[in-house]
Amino acid sequence: MTDHQQEDAFNELLQPVYKGRGLTDAINTAEDKWHLLPAFLKVKGLVKQHLDSFNYFVDVDLKKILAANQVVLSDVDPEFYLKYLDIRVGVPQRRDAHAFNTAITPHECRLRDLSYAAPIFVDIEYTREKKIVIHKSLEIGRMPIMLKSTNCVLAGKSELEMASLNECPLDPGGYFIVNGTEKVILVQEQLSKNRIIVEADVKKGIVQASVTSSTHERKSKTYVVTKNGKIYLKHNSVSEEIPIVLVLKAAGIVTDYEILQLVAGADSQFQDLFAVNFEECAKLGVHTQHQALEYLGSKVKTVRRANAPKLSIYQEGLEALATTIIAHISVNNLDFREKALYIAIMTRRVIMTMADPKMVDDRDYVGNKRLELAGQLMSLLFEDLFKKFNSDFKANIDKVLKKPNRANEFDALLSISIHSSNITMGLNRAISTGNWSLKRFKMERAGVTHVLSRLSYISALGMMTRISSQFEKSRKVSGPRALQPSQFGMLCTADTPEGEACGLVKNLALMTHITTDDEEDPVRALCFILGAEGVATIGGTELHNPNTYGIYVNGTLIGITRFPGKFVNEFRQLRRRGHVSAFISIYCNHHHNAVHIATDGGRICRPLIIVENAKSRVKADHLAKLLKGDMVFDDFLKIGAVEYLDVNEENDSYIALYEPDIIDETTHLEIEVFTVLGAVAGLIPYPHHNQSPRNTYQCAMGKQAIGAIAYNQFNRIDTLLYLMVYPQQPMVKTKTIELINYDKLPAGQNATVAVMSYSGYDIEDALVLNKSSIDRGFGRCQVLKKNTSVFKRYPNQASDSLGSVRTETVEKRGPDNQTVQTEEPIFQHRALGVDGVAEVGEKLDPGMVYVNKIVPVNMGQDLLNPNAAADSGANGEYKEQPVVYKSPETSCVDQVMVSSTESEQLMVKVLLRQTRRPELGDKFSSRHGQKGVCGIIVNQEDMPFNDFGVTPDIIMNPHGFPSRMTVGKMIELISGKAGVLDGSLQYGTCFGGSKFEDMSQILVDKGFSYSGKDMLYSGVTGECLQAYIFFGPIYYQKLKHMVMDKMHARARGPRAVLTRQPTEGRSRDGGLRLGEMERDCVIAYGASQLLLERLMISSDAFEVDVCQTCGLMGYNGWCTTCQTSECVVKMTIPYAAKLLFQELISMNIAPRLKLGDVF
Amino acid sequence: MNKESFNVSNTSNVSAAVAGLNVHKSYGVRYICASCAAKVTLSRNDPVRCKECGHRVLYKERTRRMVQFEAR
Repeated sequence: MTDHQQEDAFNELLQPVYKGRGLTDAINTAEDKWHLLPAFLKVKGLVKQHLDSFNYFVDVDLKKILAANQVVLSDVDPEFYLKYLDIRVGVPQRRDAHAFNTAITPHECRLRDLSYAAPIFVDIEYTREKKIVIHKSLEIGRMPIMLKSTNCVLAGKSELEMASLNECPLDPGGYFIVNGTEKVILVQEQLSKNRIIVEADVKKGIVQASVTSSTHERKSKTYVVTKNGKIYLKHNSVSEEIPIVLVLKAAGIVTDYEILQLVAGADSQFQDLFAVNFEECAKLGVHTQHQALEYLGSKVKTVRRANAPKLSIYQEGLEALATTIIAHISVNNLDFREKALYIAIMTRRVIMTMADPKMVDDRDYVGNKRLELAGQLMSLLFEDLFKKFNSDFKANIDKVLKKPNRANEFDALLSISIHSSNITMGLNRAISTGNWSLKRFKMERAGVTHVLSRLSYISALGMMTRISSQFEKSRKVSGPRALQPSQFGMLCTADTPEGEACGLVKNLALMTHITTDDEEDPVRALCFILGAEGVATIGGTELHNPNTYGIYVNGTLIGITRFPGKFVNEFRQLRRRGHVSAFISIYCNHHHNAVHIATDGGRICRPLIIVENAKSRVKADHLAKLLKGDMVFDDFLKIGAVEYLDVNEENDSYIALYEPDIIDETTHLEIEVFTVLGAVAGLIPYPHHNQSPRNTYQCAMGKQAIGAIAYNQFNRIDTLLYLMVYPQQPMVKTKTIELINYDKLPAGQNATVAVMSYSGYDIEDALVLNKSSIDRGFGRCQVLKKNTSVFKRYPNQASDSLGSVRTETVEKRGPDNQTVQTEEPIFQHRALGVDGVAEVGEKLDPGMVYVNKIVPVNMGQDLLNPNAAADSGANGEYKEQPVVYKSPETSCVDQVMVSSTESEQLMVKVLLRQTRRPELGDKFSSRHGQKGVCGIIVNQEDMPFNDFGVTPDIIMNPHGFPSRMTVGKMIELISGKAGVLDGSLQYGTCFGGSKFEDMSQILVDKGFSYSGKDMLYSGVTGECLQAYIFFGPIYYQKLKHMVMDKMHARARGPRAVLTRQPTEGRSRDGGLRLGEMERDCVIAYGASQLLLERLMISSDAFEVDVCQTCGLMGYNGWCTTCQTSECVVKMTIPYAAKLLFQELISMNIAPRLKLGDVF
Repeated sequence: MNKESFNVSNTSNVSAAVAGLNVHKSYGVRYICASCAAKVTLSRNDPVRCKECGHRVLYKERTRRMVQFEAR
């Protein structure tokens, strides 16, 4: 194999000759600028946001957390200290003690139910008996490693190397493997932190500005609210609302005039609105900062730690203002200037909204949202665990150091390693359960992680780009669910689930990037270099002058500028030259007279081509170099041809969709228009011709399609795996399909479809299937199910084991017609091999055993006689606990894997395989949200045929079209037909693709009708059909809902123990319930005997002995209450009623039955 | 391998198991290492480990009994 082939799959897209276009061909920028997209995906990939975030956590955040918790001191010994010098994460390792090779592959972790985790090493410096000792590379725990992140063994591996590691080169990575299951931390959407959000309640006349402050130490929310036209500050730690003027006084603003200037500026309308607030403060008799702080301090709710010193009221107020109110602005040396300004600006925003209610912020605007990724969540968790680790360690050394005379010298190293399992366990538990509970932040989040869905390649990919919202699903507001115009190009417009999570679960568009945190200080410095005036020297007059713009870095005012346009332009130029990180955004907000610079993480942004002087900066020669491989995507960033814009900065831009649309005002050019859609919606051909909900339906169904899952699909042992036997790539592709490699791992087949009515079994979207097509393998799939059995060890030396095969004597007629008695295994054990596990390849019928597990009868520790217990354990009695095959359909044993768990217990995984051909009731769908079940399977000879003798694989009822308006499906058929006749693959890319006219031309050239309609002959009569039939290939997906997994019927069967009613559910062979509403119908109809039969006789009829005197139940014709058998009669009541009576009696309520004659 | 000879060997193995002989010893190749494809024989209390490369994942070898499928 040449090097060339080993390279990444993406390289094909970047090869000199691609899609028949050579290097010497003329490059048309308008046509070929889309090559930037594969280049982007090559660098970034679809799950790059997850990898970037995790890498940032491991490389940067981990060190920051360490620096914040660097020293551990002892309360007992003042001379002791332990200092962390460095922290790093190694490569994933196995914990096996006698391993030849410590490196572990993700595939082995999946197979053996291990965690894919790497050791966390720290370098420490500490004192040991008055000496300073440095210890390097001490393991303090194990960190689950995200697949394909820098620490993963798969990072930067070529296709061949991936194959040798049993890994699929097309697998996106970005998930964790914990205890053998693949777990994804979904992207979480939140309102941005440390930014002011102004909201108004028009009905109540309330305006409020709120800010959620979030720092490493605390999280708090501060409000500035109006109440009866006056403005107050509200905070959780303050018991009542504080007049705003008082707060500003407390923050060290001396004169009322200065306060007025800071809040209202020179605007007389704002001044009038604000003036009332001075009265409030004056009434309270607060004139000085000291008085204000004392007032504030008296309202503070204090929660003091046990032995903390008591503070005076003044100190309380000072501390509250400095640390808890608007906590993200730190106060140094009691310089409250920055914080006072911040509060003044919040107040000003409130006043502006009071004057003009349109000035409120939109919570649903994507620019006001931040996405939280795996790295951030892991960092929160790790910080919590690391703090706990340190405090545990401190408690431990304190205990040891407290002892007056220790026998041997104390080494802190020993006590530190004790707690290392806490970090490992904490990380593992959080990821495997999805419960993020951090006491420090009062954060209790469930369902953060999900099992990676491996139903199909698309479902796995779709999961990696999914964004879940923190919004409550039950709230009945449409805002958060609605499609926001600002989502354009950032979030997929089609891909969202239907039903309760509709609009709350979103998906990333194809070409997006999520930022990670950037350093703020250099940006501040740069602002001053670019001519910003610092905040310390300016007052309200300068700040609120209509010609000056405030400069805000991450929401905090740092200075002003009188030339905002120039300032922003210069900043952008520096960013385009690469002097500032590409992901820092800068934009002007003209409503607030503000220039905002954002460096924080979690903003969604996307690359765009820069347009200068009405000319695209990406020139033909750049694209030529890109195609040749001389340039990569990052080079376009470096030369300033492409830049990333976040949602806010997009508002400052004028973006042209296509090159001819560029006018003088244009600032940017879209790289490719079909990137408005995400990866999953990208599968749809001609989506721009469909009614929009149909695209949404397809997004949900594409994830249920059975197809190829990964190149390593036959090596995987998953709980449930659906595979298609003969998957095909679609005839009508899209560019997205090629970019996400759906053509390499497809999930569907190109079926020849005739759109016509046939029989009556095709109503309500049912499909008619060709029997011969099924015989040839259409829609054939395999279902692989796993069973794991672990053989436990017990404390008394006993352990689970595998039993031998039981046999019976069978009389057989030998070759010479004589009866021979032979020993044959009993039916249940027929598939077992001598080792007690089913032989590979053996067929399993229902009732057969495939793992003959035996467990010791005595597994506990006998305290009185330990020797006897050990004796009975090691070679004592066993009872069988076999794994029995239950499904009504037969399966084959596909693989038997034997391995050992982390605790050296034997583990056997058996993979069972079923091959299924389509049957009546199996679900199919095209790529246009048009699903249908198989209604009838017709012999090929009865199917209609055309002049060439071609019969359809599927007949679809034309009634599916008018109401659904899936024109895309019709065009797919025509393009597909043209492709079949032409021997080419056609494109149905969104806002592009093969043109209908060209396709029609091909059809005409090949002797077909331009409309795609053919003359067909009836398969039954041989006459030609009355109408021309729309006939051609459409890509059909087989969905995972199959009749075999659902069909269920029961005549008699098991009953529940408590109520003696039939059990519920297919898995328990349950009955079909005649529910309340059905009961109502029967009552209304008056069929009382049917009702009696359904609800009692066929359910839980029970004969009781009722005493007519006391009305209570007795037994055996004897009433225990009356001590007589005189008036006891037998009658039948539901067992549930008898149970109710007895339960009532147990609660001291006597239900008495009064019997009477009916007839 | 024709059907008769196949059945004979099969039943003899089972009868050996019934007779309580230690069948594990008499058995040749049973498992295949997932890493190096070496054939590994394991007895009841052996740790699961390839004798050649130390890999801990082993697959059971395909049965030598005849299996008949109905192709449809």
